[in-house]
Amino acid sequence: MSERLERLLNLTATLLETRRPLTLDDLAERLEPAYPDDKTARRRAFERDKETLRELGVPVSVESVDSLGGETGYRIRPDDYYLPDLALSDDERAALHVAVTAVRLEGGAAHAGLSKLGGAEGAAAPPLAQLEVTPALPDCFDAVSRRRVLTFRYRDDERKLEPYGVVHRIGHWYVVGRDVDRDAPRSFRIDRIDGRPEVGAPGAFVPPADVDPSRFVRDDPLRFGEDQPVAARVLVDAARAAWVTDELGPEVVVDRREDGAVVVELQVVNRAAFRTWVLGLLEHAEVLEPADLRRDLVDWLGEIVDRTRTGDEAGRRSS
Amino acid sequence: MSGQERSQDRLQRMLALVPWILANPGATLAELATRFDIEETQLEQDLELLPMCGLPPYTADRLIDVWVGDDGAVSIRLAEYFERPLRLTPAEGVALLAAGRTLLAVPGSDPAGPLARALEKLERTLGATGGITVDVGGANHVELLRDAADDGRQLEIEYYTFARDEMTTRVVDPVRVFHAFGAWYLAAYCHRAESDRLFRVDRVRAVRETGVAVPPRPATTDDGGLVYRPSPDDLRVRMRLGRAATWVAESLPIEARKELRGGRIEVVLAVSGAAFLERLALGLGSDAEVVAPDEARTMVEEAARRVLTRYEAGP
Repeated sequence: MSERLERLLNLTATLLETRRPLTLDDLAERLEPAYPDDKTARRRAFERDKETLRELGVPVSVESVDSLGGETGYRIRPDDYYLPDLALSDDERAALHVAVTAVRLEGGAAHAGLSKLGGAEGAAAPPLAQLEVTPALPDCFDAVSRRRVLTFRYRDDERKLEPYGVVHRIGHWYVVGRDVDRDAPRSFRIDRIDGRPEVGAPGAFVPPADVDPSRFVRDDPLRFGEDQPVAARVLVDAARAAWVTDELGPEVVVDRREDGAVVVELQVVNRAAFRTWVLGLLEHAEVLEPADLRRDLVDWLGEIVDRTRTGDEAGRRSS
Repeated sequence: MSGQERSQDRLQRMLALVPWILANPGATLAELATRFDIEETQLEQDLELLPMCGLPPYTADRLIDVWVGDDGAVSIRLAEYFERPLRLTPAEGVALLAAGRTLLAVPGSDPAGPLARALEKLERTLGATGGITVDVGGANHVELLRDAADDGRQLEIEYYTFARDEMTTRVVDPVRVFHAFGAWYLAAYCHRAESDRLFRVDRVRAVRETGVAVPPRPATTDDGGLVYRPSPDDLRVRMRLGRAATWVAESLPIEARKELRGGRIEVVLAVSGAAFLERLALGLGSDAEVVAPDEARTMVEEAARRVLTRYEAGP
């Protein structure tokens, strides 16, 4: 086991130090502990080492050794490997240590990153917050930081996005940017991306100056969507009036009634999100207008009553 | 395969450890173990391996030179190719920035302090200036409740119980305040429930001091309280979810999951109160169906009828 570690360290050092790409034969000749003599076993052992290095983020590049491209060589370009000096002061390092201990994220990536920046300076902090990490988040962040186009499936649509930022809001990560096919700003919940996104070549676009990614999702989901905008009025009982005005801001209130109830007006551009929001208030709210949104809601609820009628077979409509 | 796991982890650590020692000769074993969060014996094993590593042809002048003095001070020579750490991976970069941006967004943080400066440097290096935003929400009483927990001051709160859709007044001894699942929580001893309870801070309507001092509980570094765990008394509901509703299985505490035909799934969900289930089922509509128990089906049906009643009279 420590023999493999020794070879991985030596392989990294050798590939970093070389000026020209080295073939597997070159490496087998020089490296200790030596690779197996058998060609197949040697190739397999080397590929496994290369895979391990890449999983750690070591940029092993594959290049052709001669101009004809006949033989493959390997090297690590120092500029791709070395972390630029961030010139962090001790108090800045200590502040990062506090941050990664106060804010818990699944997986050990924050601590591994902190080690590269010089490890744990000063004291740890008690936990203050917990953030979820979704598997596609690093891909999205990589695309943001290196200006790479993201291609992914989202609710059965294929999307192409020039990502401007990742935003964490109300427990979810969003990636925001310009939807290339629609030529419009869009935000997507990263945990609802189907599988891992495809990440294109670096430097593929230039984000607009002074773009503020958080604005893309500020009103999501209630007021962010692609439906034809329509102004809706909702009556909210006194018991929930303060909550709703806290949540949406006092400017949405168009009428205050004597019993303490309020009427709020919303621009609905996402009918599904609007319905979920109104139903979240249960019997404390009522859609007043427009008539078609009101009818949608009545139909929606009627269907639920029909389907859940206790004692009936599931799904059977009763007369 | 656990052997491979370990050499990968050790390699990762050593590629960070060696550059630090090169830049900070004379750091002691004890300091290094603390800094890299490992046991001293682990560290010694890492250091013992280094003199066997270097460049071909592995003669004395090509192997890494390690000294550990009697006082535990460590220095390394002949490892110039490891003088800088490996670049951050995207996962490491986003995790560091997410943690830092979260803490910076907490009410009371210094927007120009060392953390802000460290994050600016990190973002600039990664080419991600302005590329990551964390919104922790501006619940009204976060700072007040944190102070009360730190100082051990008892409070009376007006609290909206979301899962049961009711307002209550409670006397609480605050223990701590934290952010999870996109919301702020107050962990406190509740005199009304006579046990420890978690409260959503954005559902706290009003706060009053009772003037009673309560002994602060010791700060904890475990995260046991951060994760919602359903209680054994909570109702278990069996639901079938259509494709558009499968997010429920990823976002809510499900206890069983079965794949059905056509991409549908059946899950068992722990439900802490009637209103929680009612909102969920009404919001999902025909994308979801409550299968069992009958009690849960009745709850959903009656909730739909209660809302419908409002619409019978006309707008």
